[in-house]
Amino acid sequence: MKLAKYVKFRQEKFGGVLFETRSEKVYALNPTAAAVVREIQAGTPEGEIPARLEAEYAAQDGEQIGREARAFTQQLREQGLVDES
Amino acid sequence: MEEAAPEQGTEVDVGEDRRLQPVTPGETTSGNLGAPLYIAWQLTNECNYACLHCIEESGPGKAFKDELEDDQVFSVMRQAVELDVPYVSLSGGEPMLHPRFFDLAKFGAEGGAQLKIETNGHYLTEEACQRLKDYAVKSVQVSMDGATRDTFNKMRVRGDFDHVLQGIRNVHAAGVPLEINYSPTSFNVHEIGRAVDLAYELGAGSFYTGRTMYTGNAVKTWQMMAPSDAEYGPFFEVLYAKRHEYDGRMRVHFHEMGLLHEMRERLEHPAALLIVLPNGLVKLINALPFICGDLRKESLKAIWSNFQRAWQDPRIAQFVDDLSDNPKKTAELHRWIFV
Repeated sequence: MKLAKYVKFRQEKFGGVLFETRSEKVYALNPTAAAVVREIQAGTPEGEIPARLEAEYAAQDGEQIGREARAFTQQLREQGLVDES
Repeated sequence: MEEAAPEQGTEVDVGEDRRLQPVTPGETTSGNLGAPLYIAWQLTNECNYACLHCIEESGPGKAFKDELEDDQVFSVMRQAVELDVPYVSLSGGEPMLHPRFFDLAKFGAEGGAQLKIETNGHYLTEEACQRLKDYAVKSVQVSMDGATRDTFNKMRVRGDFDHVLQGIRNVHAAGVPLEINYSPTSFNVHEIGRAVDLAYELGAGSFYTGRTMYTGNAVKTWQMMAPSDAEYGPFFEVLYAKRHEYDGRMRVHFHEMGLLHEMRERLEHPAALLIVLPNGLVKLINALPFICGDLRKESLKAIWSNFQRAWQDPRIAQFVDDLSDNPKKTAELHRWIFV
């Protein structure tokens, strides 16, 4: 999985933004969502992303964050913001 | 931006889930953005055409006397890249007339910015389009203000319909995403359906139009050029039908409500967008005369930090209010006001 060709990500203090430049649509991301996108950019296999975030955020209910990461990945796919590679 | 059509600012799509939240630069998240999301950069005011409606009053010999020098131009692009600005459009005047146009486009693209080129289409040779393809530009937007030679050539003085159509075909043949912009007038408004069809036939992925603005060259040509309300009615009816007809194949995008409506929205939710003029002055938005910085004297980051404060200046809300009483106040857009 990778970001779609016309999707740009930028990290921000509040998390991050995704900008789909063809449609000029912008999405604001909370820290968990931004962390998912960073993992996608780093080439982490989709199936490993929840576990990585669960470990990273273990002190803050890692299990919940893992669930959110799975749901968010699915949203990215449904909105065409990622391509399967 | 050379055209008198409404500005294509950053749109916001919220989505249903709380993890996909809107970016609205006013009082919510965009105030926290570290940099703009979009820079609309008018590289030069010089143009080989002298269009009747040109919002920038561009034309032959119309370059500003104080346009940025080469080192300043590259410095601005370097700053945009360093701030990770995701989207930069290059317009004019005619941007492809700028002597360093291709060097700058290459520099920006290699830095990671997605580039949109807004051009009159005159210089879109096969070779030029191949270079733009090599630089992976996001899109080329061509102004095609007419579906026939007669109307196009009447509107775009010194332009040639067939020549521009060939340029458009070259864009598509090179595999560069194509967008078409269309400004309505009393003598081309009836061609809108054919123009949308033609854009699709030429390979466009997007078609943009809206109400022509009373500013720039349009102030002098308004009487012979401006569509009436009676003409705008069927114009937008056709566009609604065409949007439906081309759904999923080509995006038909239009602003029906006009400038005042858009400006009131922007007051509440300014787009995370800066307009860079050929001389380095930075406007809040193209349809207002307010300047929030000078890239000859300040960094892009410093100007961005001024952006939020500048939008709160009471003169801006007053200007928008005045527009409701006097729509022709847009004739003053080039009398810059520093905020």
